[in-house]
This record gives sequence, structure tokens and C-alpha cells, in this order.
Amino acid sequence: MLKEIEDIKAKYPDTRAALLPALYIAQKEFGWLSLDAMKAVANALNLPESDVRGTASFYSMFRLKPAGRNLIQLCTNISCMILGAERLRDLLKDRYGLLPGGTTEDGRFSLVIMECIGACGTAPAMLVNTDLYENLTEHNIAEILGKYK
Amino acid sequence: MAKTVSLKINGKEVKAAEGATLLDAAEEAGIHIPNLCYLKGLKGIGACRMCLVEVEGGKGTVPACTAKVKEGMAVNTDTESLKEMRRFVLDLILSMHPLDCMTCTKAGVCRLQQYAYDAEIKESSFTRKYFGYPIDEANPFIKRDPDYCILCARCVRVCKEQGTNVLDFMGRGVGSKVTTAHDKPLQESACTFCGSCVDACPVNALLEADRWRKGREWEYTKTASACLACGNGCDIIISTKDNNIAKINSGADEESVEKYICAIGRFGFDALLSDQRITVPMKRVGNELQETTWEDALSIAAEKLKSAKVKGIISSAGILNEDASALSKLASDVIKTKDIDTTVSLYSDADSMKSSDIVDLDASDLIVLAGLDPSQWQRGLPALDAAVRKRVSRGAKLIVINSAETKAGAVAAVNIIGDEAASLAQLAKSISDKSGKASKDIYALLSGINSTEDSDKAAELFTGAKSPVIFCSPSLFSASRNISILTSANVVAVPFEANARGVIAAGLERKGTSYQDILSGKTDALYVIGETPAAGRPDTKFMVVQTSYWTDLAKEADLILPSTSYLESSGTIVNYLGKIKKVHKAVPPAGDSKQHKEIFADLAEAMGTTLKASKTDVKKALKTKAKAKVSPFEKQSGLDIDPSEFTKSINKSVITGSRLAWLEECLKAAVCQS
Repeated sequence: MLKEIEDIKAKYPDTRAALLPALYIAQKEFGWLSLDAMKAVANALNLPESDVRGTASFYSMFRLKPAGRNLIQLCTNISCMILGAERLRDLLKDRYGLLPGGTTEDGRFSLVIMECIGACGTAPAMLVNTDLYENLTEHNIAEILGKYK
Repeated sequence: MAKTVSLKINGKEVKAAEGATLLDAAEEAGIHIPNLCYLKGLKGIGACRMCLVEVEGGKGTVPACTAKVKEGMAVNTDTESLKEMRRFVLDLILSMHPLDCMTCTKAGVCRLQQYAYDAEIKESSFTRKYFGYPIDEANPFIKRDPDYCILCARCVRVCKEQGTNVLDFMGRGVGSKVTTAHDKPLQESACTFCGSCVDACPVNALLEADRWRKGREWEYTKTASACLACGNGCDIIISTKDNNIAKINSGADEESVEKYICAIGRFGFDALLSDQRITVPMKRVGNELQETTWEDALSIAAEKLKSAKVKGIISSAGILNEDASALSKLASDVIKTKDIDTTVSLYSDADSMKSSDIVDLDASDLIVLAGLDPSQWQRGLPALDAAVRKRVSRGAKLIVINSAETKAGAVAAVNIIGDEAASLAQLAKSISDKSGKASKDIYALLSGINSTEDSDKAAELFTGAKSPVIFCSPSLFSASRNISILTSANVVAVPFEANARGVIAAGLERKGTSYQDILSGKTDALYVIGETPAAGRPDTKFMVVQTSYWTDLAKEADLILPSTSYLESSGTIVNYLGKIKKVHKAVPPAGDSKQHKEIFADLAEAMGTTLKASKTDVKKALKTKAKAKVSPFEKQSGLDIDPSEFTKSINKSVITGSRLAWLEECLKAAVCQS
């Protein structure tokens, strides 16, 4: 991870500009940003910890609480909602015990309800990590999630 | 002089400096634009939306703290619609601010209270929000109560600008909170407890920890003075109530980078009335020091100083100019000894103090720290460290030349780690190569010296600089002065005591035996003035110690004359920048203590003469200084002492006798970070 941050650093005019990508790297590595992870980023970029924590806590895409290995981001905005996103949300709860903002017991999935991802024409849609899935149904969602361990 | 532009504010013709903000221009013209997040000297961030103004011909409103003046501009700051907008902003802020002004310590100086009063808002029309954040009050210095916070970021910005970086926003939106990195208490967040955030807070979110029911601003008598704890000699404002000090704040101009005081300057006053204080004359009877009268003490001192053959006088440089000239006179005319010297000799020669330039730090655009490692964290020349970092935040460039790695090096444009004198020579070589203008003497000195990549980079910075200044350790003063011959740089040898430049200018300098030789040599009578770093009893038959506190030497003394501290004295000092500063008595002397110069006069009387006024004029002495001469690039030996260790040793009693002792313990126990 430190090597990756070093590489990223070289691409920016100053280390502060490299903070967001560095936080992404750390989050990818650990699944979430622990205190130690943020300290490591602060050290690697020679930035005050207050800066790192302040930035990490500002953006909703950074997770400051332990999270699962895979992040499901489900859209429930109007198009997705009309086409059954809420049913999918209930399904995740019933089948995986996964509540919005929560993590499965085995640490496999975390769920975040997100705002529109611009896939209204193919709703309902979700992101699993960085992969986009459209036209979700109660049937295909299980198959999709099966790919993520 | 910067160019000026003309504009109209509320119909009034106003002139303002080009590049000024509307808020500053209006303030200058006597028109106050309400604001909560603006802090003079720092860049406006337009966060609070209180300073919105209308520009005629423009669309909508602009924040006056970020908008710049323009020729011919017509601005309105107080229209009905602006008032309505401000009311709305206040309404929102008040919906999450406690409405307990009747018991709030900040009542009377709270901006929010004032604006709510102006806008006639008794309470918010929105649903009341209450977060119930925990209060951070585990330390005895600063109390942090986020429920009062209005998220103006003044504290965040001063903390960042001075490089301490403790506070920041965490989270965002309504739920954001100003706190430390991981919401830890201050003592676990590398806080130095300088209290700059307390000075910046417009409300009751950051406050001195012990302020509760110690009076509110309107009950205080304010005294502007200077702090004498270390080499920086910062401006302070002392608030007193019923002749007791309630608090001390930084006294420098709001926009100046000198607006800073450290924890010792802010909180060390506890020691004035602590068990570390000496308030009555004392004499040694057998193995014990016993209280006595001034009359008795002075007659003993007079008799001993008269009869002694070998006598020495050593003094701290933390005494006022008036005290120093009186002491100089007392030594030459009454006690009649040449063996007098001050603590200045421990870190500087007299010439470096005399020949240092007078510097306007706020104008400096290039700063060199040569052989000097100021540190807010170690409290060694902390105000210099803070000021340099603030200048860098405001666009000045920094060059650090040090034999070891320094914390300031991290914010330097050029950080040269290596032999300091040699690095200065390389810098001179690069500068003279670049300009092609150097005297023969300099060329002779530079033969055989090769410039380096770093020295070339540093020389490049000199080319663009209008007002460069070199702060050096006194041991590198003559070497640094060579650079000033090549450039227009001002050079300051930075002392470790507040009035080193003053006592030397007042004529109190080494005349015969040096400080160390007086201390380590044999004397019949030794007269020690002030808080000196010496420990253990020197080889003397009789020791008189004139001090405010139970210093290590005082404990060994045969006679103690209690002197006032700087908070109880009046006079002047010359700080490291060459500024003459007034010191004003804020509280009456504790017990029977007297100011040094009074004791000198009384002692002269006891010795049968009258102490004549000294003819030395400090102001004049500051103006007359030797022209810079080319001298070898060498470091004077024997002057290498650590400013933070030195500051700690002269403030030992103050630290022990105040809440600073808590911090020492905390650091020792490794609970506190620094």
C-alpha cells in the first residue's frame, strides 16, 4: 500500500492533492479506514492527522467504521424504487441479514443505500464494489452476489 | 506604498489599498460589516455568510471578506434585504446555539450575542437542535465545548496557519464538528496549549479552562505589556480583577504574524502566588533561611559587598532596561567591580546583540533560519517558530540551514542539512556568482568554495526577495552578516532571553570576568540577579540572590532579596526583533517584593551613596551599530545551547508553580503527545 501511495504522490504537485487517491488506496487495502490506516496515510504523505481525518470524514465514500469485504451500493431513487428496489432491499435483509449501513456477520458484504447512479433506464441498479449491475430482479441478484466471496 | 483605489461604501467616498478586501476597506473607513468567520490577517473563506454585501450593477450578493475592492465600485452593506439575510443566518446559527447568555463567560464579547442583539432575535424560529457533544476539559489549560461552536473555523485556521494542525472539521453539514484528529482530548493530540484558538474563538466554544466564574470581560482591567519568559518577548494583554490575574491573551495586532503567545506566557502567571514565590527578604541563620526585614537584609548585603575583596555580579537578561542600567551603574559606581556579566554570555557575544538589525517580520518575504531550531512543541523560541510558519502560510519563502534535521525544515523551500558555516559560505558563493557583484574581500573568502544545487536554489530565492531576513544563532552572526553584505538581508542574532538586546544596549555587558568564570571561580561575595540557569552553590563566601522565585541558587543563598516578576514591574525591553516594548505593572507586587531598580537604589543607599541615573540611552544605542564587515565563514564556539532547554531552566520555578507542571507530568507519563 505504501508503495502505491508513493507512486500516486509523484503524480501530484503537492502531497495534499494526493490525499483522496491515497485514502482510496488505504480503503481498498483494508476495506475501511481505521485509525491506523489514516495514521499511515498521514505519515506517508507527511500531512497532519487532523487533515486526513477531516477529509476522510467529509466524503461519504470513505468508510470510517469496519465494513465488509464487498460493498453493495443499492439505488432507491425514483426509477429504481418504482421498479422494485425496495423489494431488493428487503430481500437483502431477509436473506443475508443485511441492513442499510450494516455488514453481514461473516464480513462478506456491506450495504449502503446510495443516490441515483444514472442507470434509470435500466433500473433497478446497484454497484458491487466498482461493478455496475442493471435490470436487477429477485432472481438474478443472488447469482450476482454469488460471485463475490 | 501600494496603489490605492477609490470606491463608494454606503454612499461614502472611500480610498483603499489595491487588493484589499471590501471588509477591510469598510473597517478602515469606520463601517463595520457584520462577520463571524473573518479573522484579520487570514484569508477570508466566506463561510458564515454574515458579511454579504451588494455591489451596484452586480448580480446578487458577495461576501465582503473575499471580494476585493475595485476602482469606481459602489457597495452597500446595510440594505433591508441584506439585513434580512443576516437575520436568517443568525436564526439558523441560533437554532443550534445554547441560549444561556446570562451565565455564559463570553457574554459581552461574544459576536453572536452582539449580532443577535442588533437583529433583535430572542430565539430561533427553527426547531432547536442540541447535539450534547462531550466537553473536552481533562486538561487545565483549554476547555473545548463543541455545543457552543458555530463552525466559523477561526480556530481551525489559526491552528493550521501556525503549523500546529491540531483542530479541523470532522464530518460535514449540520453534523460537522471542530475537533482533534480522532476526536481525542487535546492532550492526546499533540496540542501545545498555546491557546491561539482561545484568542480566535468568537463564542464560548474555546475558553481558558479555569475561567468559569472568574469574571467576565467588562469586569476586567486590561494592561498591555510584554512577556519575559523567553527570547521572543511577545506582546500580552493581562486581564485582572481585584488585583488578581484572571487571564493573559496575546497582545499583538490581529493581522500580525506575531499574534501568538505560548503556554508559558499565557498560563505561567499561576506561579506568582504559588509556593515557588519569594515574597519577603530572607537571611541564612545556621542551616536555615529565615524571614527578615528589608532594612536588615539591605544592611547585611551592603556590609558584605563592601567588605568583600573578590566580588562578582551575575544577572539574568530577563530584567527590564531600567533595571539593567541601574545595575550597571550600581556595579561601576557603588559596588565598584568589573566582574559583572549576564546570562547573555551563555548564548551570545555582546556585538551580535548590538549589531542585530531591527526587523519588521510582517514585511519579510524570505526568511532564513541559520543554526536555529525554534520549536513550538519544545517551547524554544515558540513565537518565532509560529511567526515563521505563518509567514510561510502567507506566501513567504523559508530557507533552513542546520547541522541536524529540524521540524521547520519540512515547510522550507530549501532545507540544507550540513555544516552551518560552510553552508552559509556556499550560499554566499551562489549569490555572488549570480549577481557578479561582490567585494574583493568576499571573493577572497569564497575562493575554493563550491556552490551546491541547494545553495543555488536558495540564492535564486534571494533574487526575488524584497525584504529578506536571516535569523541566526548568535554563533553564526558574523558569518550570516556576510550574506547581508551581498544582499539587502537584515540579520538578527536571536537571543534566548526576552531582553538580551535591551540589557546590552543599556550598558549591562561583560566588563571583566565572564558569567561562567564568575560562577565557577572563587569569590568573597556573589550577587545574583534574576532567574539564572545555574544550579548548585558556587564557591563563594557569601551569596546574595535577588529573585522572584525559589530558583536553585536561591535555595543555596545566604541572603535573598525578593524582586517583582515582570507582571508586577514597569519599564521597557528590546525584543529579538529590535522593537522597544513597554512593560506595564498589571498587579501589585506580591508581599514585600520590589522591582530590581528600587532594590539597587536602596542597596546603594545602604552602602552610603545615592545611585545616579544612568546616561545610557537604549533608543540611541539601538540606532548606532557597527557597519557589517566581511568576516570568515566560521561558527563561534562555546555558544551552542538549546533554546528550549534554556527556556525551561530559567522558567523552572514558573513551570513548577503553575499548571504547566501538569503538562510536564503528562509528557513524562507519555500520556500527552507533543
